[in-house]
Amino acid sequence: MEEIEEKIKDTVKKLFKENKIDIFIGYSEGTLPLRATPCFITKPDNIEKLVWNSYCFNNLAVYLPRFFLTQHQKKDARLPKIGILAKGCDGRSIVGLIKEHQIPRENLYIMGIPCEGMIDIKKIQDAGCKMQEVEIVGAKEKDNKIVIIDEDKKEIELKKEELLADVCMRCQYTAPVIYDVLIGEEKRKTKEEERAAIIEEFEKKPLEERWKYFQEQVSKCIRCYACRQACPNCYCKECFAEQTKPRWIGATNDISDVMFYQIGRIFHQAGRCVDCGACVRACPMGVDLRVFTYKLVKDVKEFFEYEAGVSLKEDPPLATFKSDDQQEFITEP
Amino acid sequence: MKNVHNWEPKIVAFLCNWCSYAGADLAGVSRTQYPTNIRVIRVPCSGRVSPFYIIKTLQNGIDGVLVSGCHPGDCHYISGNLIARRKFALLKSFLEYIGIEPGRVHFSWVSAAEGARFAQIIEKVTREVKKLGPIRKIVKKI
Amino acid sequence: MENVKLKIIKKKDVLNFLDSLKKEYNILVPMEKNGDIRFSKFNSGQDIPWDYRNTKISPKEIFFPQAETLFYFEAGASAPSNRSRVSIPINESKDSTSETNNEQRTTNYLIFGIRPCDAQAFSLLDKLFGGDDFQEPYYLKKRKQATIVSLACNKPQITCFCTSLKGKPDNEEGSDVILFDLEENILVKPITKRGEEFIENLNIWFKEAKKSDVEKKNKLMDLSLKKIRSGVNLKNIKEKLDEAFDISFWNEIHQKCLGCGICTYLCPTCHCFDITDEIDSGAGASPTPEGKRVRCWDSCMFPLFTLHASGHNPRPTYKERMRQRIMHKFNYCPENFKEIFCVGCGRCIRNCPVNIDLREMLISIDLS
Repeated sequence: MEEIEEKIKDTVKKLFKENKIDIFIGYSEGTLPLRATPCFITKPDNIEKLVWNSYCFNNLAVYLPRFFLTQHQKKDARLPKIGILAKGCDGRSIVGLIKEHQIPRENLYIMGIPCEGMIDIKKIQDAGCKMQEVEIVGAKEKDNKIVIIDEDKKEIELKKEELLADVCMRCQYTAPVIYDVLIGEEKRKTKEEERAAIIEEFEKKPLEERWKYFQEQVSKCIRCYACRQACPNCYCKECFAEQTKPRWIGATNDISDVMFYQIGRIFHQAGRCVDCGACVRACPMGVDLRVFTYKLVKDVKEFFEYEAGVSLKEDPPLATFKSDDQQEFITEP
Repeated sequence: MKNVHNWEPKIVAFLCNWCSYAGADLAGVSRTQYPTNIRVIRVPCSGRVSPFYIIKTLQNGIDGVLVSGCHPGDCHYISGNLIARRKFALLKSFLEYIGIEPGRVHFSWVSAAEGARFAQIIEKVTREVKKLGPIRKIVKKI
Repeated sequence: MENVKLKIIKKKDVLNFLDSLKKEYNILVPMEKNGDIRFSKFNSGQDIPWDYRNTKISPKEIFFPQAETLFYFEAGASAPSNRSRVSIPINESKDSTSETNNEQRTTNYLIFGIRPCDAQAFSLLDKLFGGDDFQEPYYLKKRKQATIVSLACNKPQITCFCTSLKGKPDNEEGSDVILFDLEENILVKPITKRGEEFIENLNIWFKEAKKSDVEKKNKLMDLSLKKIRSGVNLKNIKEKLDEAFDISFWNEIHQKCLGCGICTYLCPTCHCFDITDEIDSGAGASPTPEGKRVRCWDSCMFPLFTLHASGHNPRPTYKERMRQRIMHKFNYCPENFKEIFCVGCGRCIRNCPVNIDLREMLISIDLS
């Protein structure tokens, strides 16, 4: 990890020296244990702040569209050149954003980094450190272990691979598919069947049970919109949830409105969701979104043989068609 | 409280102007008898129908939704119904996955000459929705 | 401090104590829900999580819920005498903390086991919602009839910094009674007149506290206070911010912010809201057109918060919104209410998806 951290810093130093970028987006140390925080470097003096560890889970691609908003550009203004540290998931999001013309490829310098997975703090709680009981005051990463220090200075050793987020354990593209430089070596995993497993298990349940689970999960929602704001694909200037002409839904946590919001937002990601897990991580109430978001990703793969974020050249699935698209769902008399 | 024995489902049908609406018109002109549960909303093309219309309709308490367009290849706007076909395939699969009864949301292709077929489709849709009873899930109550 | 007022109740008797009050009070206690703790209606079966740190959502949701119906109305040509009929549900509280809609709703709340920082937040919200200029009836109706029994903190978290904001593990501001967890026993100290009356009326449940109990309590509070190591110098923060509108600090601090509403929604003192009408046109679920006016939480961090009908937005980027949040809590509210609207509970720090730390920000402002 330290080696890679040094390589990242050296490469960023070089980029600033050669004037290739105006700003670099990476991670720096968080103020809480087990956290890293997004970091925006504009001066070479600040490069030392950059870190690389198993807490760097934020999807940094979400910050890219803001640099290229047309309303903030003066005419003939030069668009900034942005360097970004991209894991596999960030890279897939970047591909999606380029395809949808939200960011220009020429203004990006993508520093690809093969990711071995990020830990999920909720899993640490499941491993015996319930948040209400154990207060984590510090954490260290040692080889493949995470050592947690509690308020009584007791050290608890946990295996890193047991703490990896679900989305990371089943990740198929651990390095971005497009990059300008790759730090380290790519180690691809192929576990496609496992990803679909949660969906297939859920599909086996009877209809009413599925509805009950959906209702339970969705009733936790407080409409904070963290899922939408954390998602790089949600860049609409006005979200349907806040539209008043027409008003689709109210702003309260009425269960019917919350269901519409969740279905609507997830369905807006049809053919675009890259399964980065940013929405699940951002949600403060622990709504189980992946069971629903990944269903669409799986359907798009099955019906249209398309996977978002993997190729810049493929047409988005809902902007094109094939003459033999499946139509078993059509009602015949 | 709706009387269960006399209850008739309310069904909203989004019909594309060029084919399905004309087909429904033909059924009417031919004095074909078919269930009167549907309320028609004419749209220029089935591709115009956003998934949100369907979900909003259910949220408003309507028991069933039908979206009907031209046969693939016959769209007045060339490819509107072909894009819609992909959208609806995903929507139908997703709505069933989260637990909304699949018999409530239907998609069909009806051409302008198919008056009798339109009536048959309405009969089938009404039958299926009636079997499911009044909608309770996702309905918004003030 | 007079020992005469202090009482003791055995921890295992508390559940029976609360049971006996079920008919008279709408009792809300911290309860395990969906893997986290949230204030919910007291259930005889479930134990109080005495060791809990704090709830995820602050208990402001009891008096100021995420969604509150202000009034119902019938409308349209079918409404009687062609005028809208309005019914105001102030006397029925359809709040998120009651589980059944049909039960006899008492507005006598007993909030049991709240943390002192959250109780202090209530006293801040009281200044806002119950100030001289305007009395907010929906909040006040519930608040005025509520008895707040808080639970002093034995184990603060690393994100707690209440001591920087006139707070401490056994702070009394905003509470009617405060409890101290002495392992087997609970030490009870009434604070306000309402608190004294509450304990007096229920005297049979309590015994007089012994000197040893008080000593144990003092020891625990000393230890607890020492554990709060996180602090921010907030002396003269208002004056500092008066001069700080244009400092360069704001240009960097906003960059990470996603613009979600987590910090404001979970905060015990944030209070911004939106009012909208929701109308059922009569085509669907209801037979006649009817509607309701609702108040729901809003957040200054949302991009649309200050969007004008003309399309102009005076806070167009994350920079203005982040600055506004800090200014509102640490400058404008001290100006309007003579109080900083923060109690140091740490929820915003713990739950921010990108680890924006309020303490870090305040320290930077202090330094610049």
